[in-house]
Amino acid sequence: MKSSPMIPSNDDAISVVALEKRFGDFVAVDRISFTVKRGEIFGFLGSNGSGKSTTIRMLCGIITPTSGSGSVAGHDIFRESEQIKQSIGYMSQKFSLYEDLTPFENIRFYLGIYSVPQEHWRERMEWILDMTQLQNVRRRLTRDLPPGWRQRLALGCALLHRPEILFLDEPTSGVDPITRRHFWEFIAKLAAEGITAFVTTHYMDEATNCRRIVMINEGRIVAQGSPEAIIAEACPEVPGADLNDAFIRLMARRAQ
Amino acid sequence: MSWLRIRELVRKEFIALFRDRRNRPIIIIAPIIQLLVFGYVVNYDINYIRVALMDQAHTRESRMLADTITGNRIFHITDRPRDQRELEQLLLLGKVDLGVKVGPDMSRRIRQGETAAVQILADGSMSNMAAVRITYIVLVLDELNRNLIRELYPQHMDYGRIDARLRTWYNPNIYSRYFFVPGIVAFVIMLISLLLTSIAIIKERESGTMEQLIVTPLKPIELIIGKTIPYIIISLVQLVVVTSMAIYWFEIPLAGSVSLLALASCLFLLSTLGVGLFISTISATQQQAMMTTFFFILPFFMLSGFIFPIANMPVAIQWLTYLNPLRYFLVIIRGIFLKGVGLNVLWPQYAAMTIIGIAVFAGAVGRFRKRLD
Amino acid sequence: MNPRKIEAMMRKEIYHLIRDFRSLYLAFAIPLLLILLFGYALSLDVDNIETVVVDHDRTDLSRDFIRHLDASPYFHLKAYLSKADAVTEYLDHDRATLALVIPPGWTKAIRSDRESPMQVILDGSDPNFANITRGYVNAFIEQYNRRLLLAYLNRHGLQEIHPPVEGRIRVWFNEDLESRNFIIPGIIAIIIMIAGAMLTSLVIAREYENGTMETLKSLPLSAGEFLMGKAIPYFFIGLIDVLIAVLMGQVLFGVVMKASFWLMILASSLYLFVALTLGLLISNITKSQLVANQGAILLTFLPSLLLSNFVFPVANMPKILQLITRIVPATYYIEILGGIYLRNLDFDQLWLSFAVLTLMFMVLAALNVLMLKRGGL
Repeated sequence: MKSSPMIPSNDDAISVVALEKRFGDFVAVDRISFTVKRGEIFGFLGSNGSGKSTTIRMLCGIITPTSGSGSVAGHDIFRESEQIKQSIGYMSQKFSLYEDLTPFENIRFYLGIYSVPQEHWRERMEWILDMTQLQNVRRRLTRDLPPGWRQRLALGCALLHRPEILFLDEPTSGVDPITRRHFWEFIAKLAAEGITAFVTTHYMDEATNCRRIVMINEGRIVAQGSPEAIIAEACPEVPGADLNDAFIRLMARRAQ
Repeated sequence: MSWLRIRELVRKEFIALFRDRRNRPIIIIAPIIQLLVFGYVVNYDINYIRVALMDQAHTRESRMLADTITGNRIFHITDRPRDQRELEQLLLLGKVDLGVKVGPDMSRRIRQGETAAVQILADGSMSNMAAVRITYIVLVLDELNRNLIRELYPQHMDYGRIDARLRTWYNPNIYSRYFFVPGIVAFVIMLISLLLTSIAIIKERESGTMEQLIVTPLKPIELIIGKTIPYIIISLVQLVVVTSMAIYWFEIPLAGSVSLLALASCLFLLSTLGVGLFISTISATQQQAMMTTFFFILPFFMLSGFIFPIANMPVAIQWLTYLNPLRYFLVIIRGIFLKGVGLNVLWPQYAAMTIIGIAVFAGAVGRFRKRLD
Repeated sequence: MNPRKIEAMMRKEIYHLIRDFRSLYLAFAIPLLLILLFGYALSLDVDNIETVVVDHDRTDLSRDFIRHLDASPYFHLKAYLSKADAVTEYLDHDRATLALVIPPGWTKAIRSDRESPMQVILDGSDPNFANITRGYVNAFIEQYNRRLLLAYLNRHGLQEIHPPVEGRIRVWFNEDLESRNFIIPGIIAIIIMIAGAMLTSLVIAREYENGTMETLKSLPLSAGEFLMGKAIPYFFIGLIDVLIAVLMGQVLFGVVMKASFWLMILASSLYLFVALTLGLLISNITKSQLVANQGAILLTFLPSLLLSNFVFPVANMPKILQLITRIVPATYYIEILGGIYLRNLDFDQLWLSFAVLTLMFMVLAALNVLMLKRGGL
C-alpha cells in the first residue's frame, strides 16, 4: 500500500493527517491520512458503518475530530472551521431539504444563507433551476417531488454559491440507475470546471468514475490510489476484476 | 452579523409554519379557546348556594327564617327534607351546599326569651367555598336576630353599633374574570412561545436540515435570532388578539397604559424564548421537548400567583417565586388592567423581568452550539 | 386477538420508553411535582389578611377595637396609618389587602347610642380571597357589635338579652376545612390524565411522523392488538403514578381515604382506560406530535383541571359549561374520589359514575379501532 505525500501542496483542496474520531470507547475513524487535489473527483468507499459519513462530517465542520489535523480549502479544520463553510457545499444522505417549501423557496433561502449578493439572485436562481432541470416545478412543494428530482434540488442548493469543494454523502442512494448515470456525468462536468468533488458511496461500481479513491473499513484506510491501481495490486492474477473483487480480497487479507 | 441571513431564516420559518395546515389551530384557535374556557370557568363568584331546610317547627318564626334566607338572592332553598336521614343523604350526595335544621321548639324558646339553636350543616368539600357560605349564612342569622329582637324588645333597639360601609377596590363586583382573564393573557403567551421555539429547533434537527444549516457560514447567534423572531411576532399578535378579546368580549376594563403592557410582554417573551431555547439544547426529540416544556410550565404556572396566592405559600417557596418571570408579569398585567397603575408603582417588576429575561436568554445562547455532537 | 402479537407490540413500546429515558423520567417526575406543589405550596385557604388601620378617633374604645382586630387569627395588622391617602399607597402596592378607617367622633356616636359608620376597604382583585375576606370582616364586626350590645345593656342596667337564634355550625366531609383535603385527591385525576392521555397522545403520531406507521399497516397486526400493545405500558405507568400519589398524600400530608382502597384502584383503573383511549384517539386523528400535544393539553389536561368540579364549582358556571362538564371524564372520577376520600361512600351510591366511565371507555376504544381500520391497519 502506497501512502500519499504528507506535505500539503498548494494544489491540495483537502488534506488530513492522522484524523481520528472516538465516540467514548468506540473508534469510528482511526487516524487516517489522505489528500485530495483540486479539481479531482475523489471517492471514499466503504460499507455502511465504516467511518465514511463520520469523516465527511468532520471535514465539513459538523462534528469535531478527536485528534489529528487537516485543512479544507486552505483553512485548518480545527481553528478555522467556520471560514471553510463559505467555500464548500454539502449534500447529505437524506437530501435534507425543507419539505414544506418549494424548490424556488429552498433556493432563495440558501442564497440568503450563503450571502450571495442580492443583485445576482435572479440570475443565479435561473442558473440553478436550469442546471437541475426543475424550472417547471419551481413552485411545487418539495414534498411532492420524486426522489430523483429532490436529489437534483439538494445538489443545486449545495452549488448555488459556487463553492470550491463539493462534499457528497451517499448522493445516489435510493436513486434509479439512469439518474445515477446523469449524476456522474454532471459531476464530471463540474470537475472539468475546477470544482473538487469528494464523494462517499458504498456502490463499488460507481467508484470507477473517480480519479482516485480511498477504501475505508472499520475506520482504517485499506487502500488508496486510482481504481485501476488498486485492482491491479489486490487481484493481479484476475483479468477483468473489478473493485468489488478487490475489496473482498483486501478484506480477506486483513483477516489473516 | 448578516441581516440578510436572518431575514431569509425568518421568511423560511413563516412559510413553513403557515404552510403546515395543522399548525393553524395551534396558533389561532387554541389561545382563543383557552381564553374563553378560562374566562368562563375559572370562577369563584358565589351566586348560587343550595340549601336544604328541615323545618320541624312550622311556625311563624321558622317561616321568617326561610324568608330571610331566600331574601338574600344567593340562597336557594332547593329541598325541604322531612327527617334527618333525608337531610344527610342530600349532603352526602352533594345535592346541597348547606343544610339548615330547625327544631320543633324554636318558637317556644324564642318567645320565652331563650335561645333557639339552628343547626347548620356545611359541606366542607371545597373548603374555601364552604368558608364563604358559612359566613353568609351567619349574616342571615344575624339579620334574623335583629328582626326578632326588634319585635320582642321594641323599646330597646337603638344602641351604638358599627355600621360597616364596605367598599371594594379595583374589582368592585369581585368578578372572578377580572382577576383571571388578564392572567390568561400571560399564560397563553407563555405556552405558545415556549413550546413553539423549542419544537422549531428540534424539528430541524430531526429532519436533517439542521445539519445542512451547520454546514453553511450561518453563525449561531444568527440562527437563534432567525428562529426566535417569528415566534416573537406571533406571540405579540396573539397578545393583541387575546387582550382585545379580554377587553371587548369579557369587558375587562383596561385602566392603565397599553404601551406599558406591550413593553412588559416583550420583556416577558425574553424569558420564555430563552427557556424554550434552553429546552431545545437539552432535548433530543420532540416528545422530550414537549414533556420537558410541560414540566417547566407547571411550576411556573402554579407558583406565579395566577390561581393560588403566593402569600399562602411556605416562605421558602415564596422566595423561589422571585425567580419566576410569570409572577412579575401577572402583577404588571393585573396592575395595568385593574388598578391602572404605571411605572412608578410597577418599576420593580419591570426591572426584575428585564434581569431574569436577559440572564435566561444569554444563558441559553451560551449553551447553543453549531455542532451535532 | 393474539397475545403473542400484543406482547411484541408492547415490548417495542417499552423499548421506546426506556430508551427515551427523559420522557420516562418525566412521566414520574411530573406527578411528583404536582403533589408536592399542591400539597405544600398551593392553598386556597385564607388567613393572615394584611390589614392597615387609620384611626381618626384615637380613644380608648377605638384602640380596644384595634386590639381585638390584631388578636384575631384571621387578620394581621400591618400598620397604623395616620392619613387616608396612605391607604391608597398600601393597596396599590399590594402591601395590604384590607383597610379599616375609623372616623373622628366614632366613640362619641357609639356612646350616644347612635349607629356609627366605619369605612372598610377591600382589595377585590382576587375574588377567592375577596369573598372570604369580606365574610370574615363582616363576621368580625358583627362579633364586636355584640360586645357593644352587651356593654349597652350593662350601662342601662338591663338584663342580658339572649339572641333569639344561634347557629350551631358543623362542617361535614372536610372537618378541618383544609383546602388540601380536596385538592390532593383531585390532583390524582390530573396526574392520570397526564400519564394516561398526554403521553399516549404522542405515541401514534410519532409513528406517523417517522413513517413507521406505513410498515405497521402492512403487517398482519389487528387494530385491537396494536392499541393494546401501545396502551398497556402506559397503563402501568399511570397506575404506579396513582399509588405514588396516594402514598405521598397520606404520608406527607395526612390526606387519608375514608372508604375502600380497592374501590379506589378500580375507579382509577377505569379512569386510566378512558384517559389512555382518549390520548390514543387524539394521536390517531392529528398524526402530528406537536398538534397532538396541544390537543391533549386542551382536551385532557385543562378540562380535568377546570371543568371537573375540582377547584372551580360547576354550580357557578354558565349553563352551557355545566353541560360540557357532563362529558368530561374527570367530572365522574372526581365525584368518585370525593366519595372515597371525603364522604365515605360505597359502590351502591357511586355506581352511576362508574357506569358512565365504562361507557366512555367503550366508545373511545371503538372509535380508535374504527379510525385505525379505516386507515388501513
